[in-house]
Amino acid sequence: MKKVLIATLLILVVSIIPIFAQGASESSVKLGFIGPMTGDYGNYGNLISKGALLAIEQKNAKGGIAGKIQIELIVEDSEGDPQKGLAGIEKLASSDKIVALIGPVFTGVAFAVGERVQNEGIMMVTPSGTHKDITDIGNYVFRTVASDGLQGDVSGHYFYEKLGIRKLGVLYVKNDYSQGLYEGTKASFESRGGVVTIAETAQIGDKDFKTQLTKIRASNPDAIYIPNYTAEMAQILEQATQLGIKIPFLSSDGFSNPEIYDLAGDYTDGVIYVGPTQVKESSDYKKFVADYTAKWGFAPDSFATNAFDAANILFETLEKVYAKNGKFDRKAIRDTFAATKDFPGVTGTVNFAENGDLVAYQGVYKVEGKTPKYIGTYTVVDGELIEIK
Amino acid sequence: MTRGPPSVAEVYLIKEPIVGSIAEFFQHLMNGLTLGGIYALIALGYTMVYGILKFINFAHGDILMVGSYIGLFTFDAIRGQTMGPWTVIAFFIAMLAGMLFSAGLGMAIERIAYKPLRRATRLAPLLSAIGVSFILSNMAAWMWGTKSRKLDYPFDNSPIYLKGVSITPHQILILAVVIVMMVALKLFVDRSRIGKAMRATSLDQDTAKLMGIKADKIIAITFAIGSALAATAGFLIALEIKVYPSMGTMTGLKAFVAAVVGGIGNISGAMLGGILLGLLETFGVALLGIPYGLRDTIAFVALIIILLVKPEGLLGKAEKEKV
Amino acid sequence: MFNFILLILIYTAIFALMAIGQNLITGYVGLLSLTQAGFFAIGSYVTAILSVTYGWNFWLTVPMAALISSFFGLLIGLPTLRLKGDYLAIATLGFGEIVRNILNNWDSLTNGPMGIQRIPMISLFGIQISPYKKWGFLVLVWIFVLVAYFLFDRLAKSRLGRALEAIREDEIAASSMGINVTRYKVWAFILGAAVAGVAGSLQAEFILSVTPGAFTFMVSIMVLCMVVLGGMGNFKAVILGAFIIQFISYFPQLVGLSNVIPPQFKQILFGLILVVMMIWRPQGILGREKRSAPRRLFRSGGDV
Repeated sequence: MKKVLIATLLILVVSIIPIFAQGASESSVKLGFIGPMTGDYGNYGNLISKGALLAIEQKNAKGGIAGKIQIELIVEDSEGDPQKGLAGIEKLASSDKIVALIGPVFTGVAFAVGERVQNEGIMMVTPSGTHKDITDIGNYVFRTVASDGLQGDVSGHYFYEKLGIRKLGVLYVKNDYSQGLYEGTKASFESRGGVVTIAETAQIGDKDFKTQLTKIRASNPDAIYIPNYTAEMAQILEQATQLGIKIPFLSSDGFSNPEIYDLAGDYTDGVIYVGPTQVKESSDYKKFVADYTAKWGFAPDSFATNAFDAANILFETLEKVYAKNGKFDRKAIRDTFAATKDFPGVTGTVNFAENGDLVAYQGVYKVEGKTPKYIGTYTVVDGELIEIK
Repeated sequence: MTRGPPSVAEVYLIKEPIVGSIAEFFQHLMNGLTLGGIYALIALGYTMVYGILKFINFAHGDILMVGSYIGLFTFDAIRGQTMGPWTVIAFFIAMLAGMLFSAGLGMAIERIAYKPLRRATRLAPLLSAIGVSFILSNMAAWMWGTKSRKLDYPFDNSPIYLKGVSITPHQILILAVVIVMMVALKLFVDRSRIGKAMRATSLDQDTAKLMGIKADKIIAITFAIGSALAATAGFLIALEIKVYPSMGTMTGLKAFVAAVVGGIGNISGAMLGGILLGLLETFGVALLGIPYGLRDTIAFVALIIILLVKPEGLLGKAEKEKV
Repeated sequence: MFNFILLILIYTAIFALMAIGQNLITGYVGLLSLTQAGFFAIGSYVTAILSVTYGWNFWLTVPMAALISSFFGLLIGLPTLRLKGDYLAIATLGFGEIVRNILNNWDSLTNGPMGIQRIPMISLFGIQISPYKKWGFLVLVWIFVLVAYFLFDRLAKSRLGRALEAIREDEIAASSMGINVTRYKVWAFILGAAVAGVAGSLQAEFILSVTPGAFTFMVSIMVLCMVVLGGMGNFKAVILGAFIIQFISYFPQLVGLSNVIPPQFKQILFGLILVVMMIWRPQGILGREKRSAPRRLFRSGGDV
């Protein structure tokens, strides 16, 4: 018993030491990142955090903020779990004393952490949390990705008007991302007169979709909508082939993760999906992709690109705040961030709406030979689908 | 929308899948049978171990997973670039490698984590097994990453259509292997000396020992065989569901339910239970409209029902409890 | 940093409540039940739904959470009575997964995978106990733990406790001595469920949102580890066990190594704890409560 107590005390003492190691030094400013770094969705967190890291490296190489303060990114693993995400923000907020948060990656974690940062007064900008209600949490929550609300709107309208789909079959996963998109798309699709003839569900992590696909096949819709993550979509596409399904597939921005081509290969051919807008081949964007791929050895996805932009906007914000106040005040950072106007990001010109949403459009892609081809930029205004040339 | 070049089968046997209820029924039947075959293979491992030690090896599903990884690595290493007859041979060699490794792993785990607890309470080996399961799946995640890895088909897996039902060569492979394994096992247990020794040990360990049977050796062999069978199942389904660290957990658990439903300790029972569960799950969702999210629940509900109605399982014999 | 330690202590307390319940079921009756995650989830959702949709005060939701969880404890206890160690484990594991599945799919009640957000904070006599200001919450949860500890400890030392232990040692002998095995087993389940439900309420008030994904069987396993590590049949010990397990869980973040040490590490550690403890020291670090009469703790045969 005594041995146990002594051991416990020793452990406690050892862990206190980092407190003293904590230099809130003038020579660095800390940003936080929360995302799934390990676990089944580690690929997302990995890709996205590296977008931010690249930006930081480039900025630091130029001297950092005000030419002298280096930026540090502290990455916390959420494992896709809100509880871990909260522990992460707890540590980032109180121990690391971050001045702003990039992330979280997943919608569910974003909700939980969002409440916390709103209460704590630390601004957060998510590069991938698309659920429409996230920015409703408060004025400290922003995103550099278009919200689901828009994606659902554009998807539903586009399928009806441009693709001529009248009967839609859906296979979605019971999680906030998929279900949110399903509900949004269904609403806009049906508002035009289309009918969702069958909607089957699955659980995240499921591998076998044959039963649902068989039922969908029997109901014979014009197209099948699968707004899911890559792992599930790869399985679905493969199994659809095995079942002899020739009905075209439609998807969402989850499809923009290049991993899908590794997992599903030729099965991706012909899939049409709605995702983030393709940057008009700007030289900045090309440079970003080149830099990213050169540094990390794989190509970025759209969310990583959003994170890159988010980071750079933050740098501009930090510069302004530091120039004005000589220090990094969290509230000032939030205010300045919100006031960002026409920022030239690699994803295009960035502006934030009142509620922190990204003023954006959606892009439509069609996969041909494992390469996504850009079809067009769209948005929905007052219930009307508009193409942006 | 194109799906690659048509296969020989598609060209000569092509019939478009007829959308309709008969075709649908047979499709579900096909899906259910193959799923059931897999459950059966895994259930065999559980049931054999239980028969001898009266203990559920929680880590069985994870041994399956490790075997699949080893098979994958072997296959990728030896198969060469082009697809041909060698690919199929390489596939089976890889499967064998996975089976052997799992057999060894199973024996090692038995020796290290279960043997010392044979005389302990009922709870102890169970907790140990849960611990082993955890260690295995997390070590796999640590060493090999959590991303799923693709196991490529050694042959063209384009489906054949038979009256509107699409059957893939993969499904045929599964059924073939399952049948071969089950027959082989039955013959082994019924006819061979070791098989007899296994049956004797499971009936009454102490008496078997008195008769000169080395119980420890028999137990080790049991673990080896059960693990090897599980590895086979894992390698077969990996073609479809990919290889990843937690691939064994849920499937393993459901195979256990299958073993119980069929009659734990009874080899034919495991086979029956497996097939039954596969069919139940597929048709439960398809015909009874059970929401897909509750598919796993079907297995557990079946478990509770069987334990309430006939706890020894469909083919099991009721055990009299000795006071 | 200090705040982070407070966080760990708060999680410790919440889990300690569940561990206390687990201790009764596994430590005293000797049943390997893996239900705590399920009751934890139920308790959390009860509080979430009642306070968000119906505007109930937290303090009223707590007894409801306990009650509804107990009801399910009864529901699970009755059919699984007959099951022996191994089967019970699987059946109870299945229960937890069923609960999670239902929560994930019953959109109209639980909002499905989105979960329920914006749960109002606890207020006591007009003072808000915010999870962001740790101290208040910390004191509150530990009061709950102390109350639970005293309650369960009393119970364990009473006739109920002795009956439970008799059942563990030899069910048939106990039954032939007139102990209604059924009734006592079910009671153990009900009590274990109730306290896990309360833990769930507190969890909902701390995270201020509930999602089905937070209640996987990992929770049940962790609780089990706490009991195994601390000492089966010893309430003080399981509280210690709760602390150690939570500490291990958050250790990498504590020392700033969370990107170097993968999360698998702590899970491997939990697995090792189970295996090693069983082989080397099955009675846990602190062992069972000392009593006047000498007890045979572990022997072959019987349930535990």
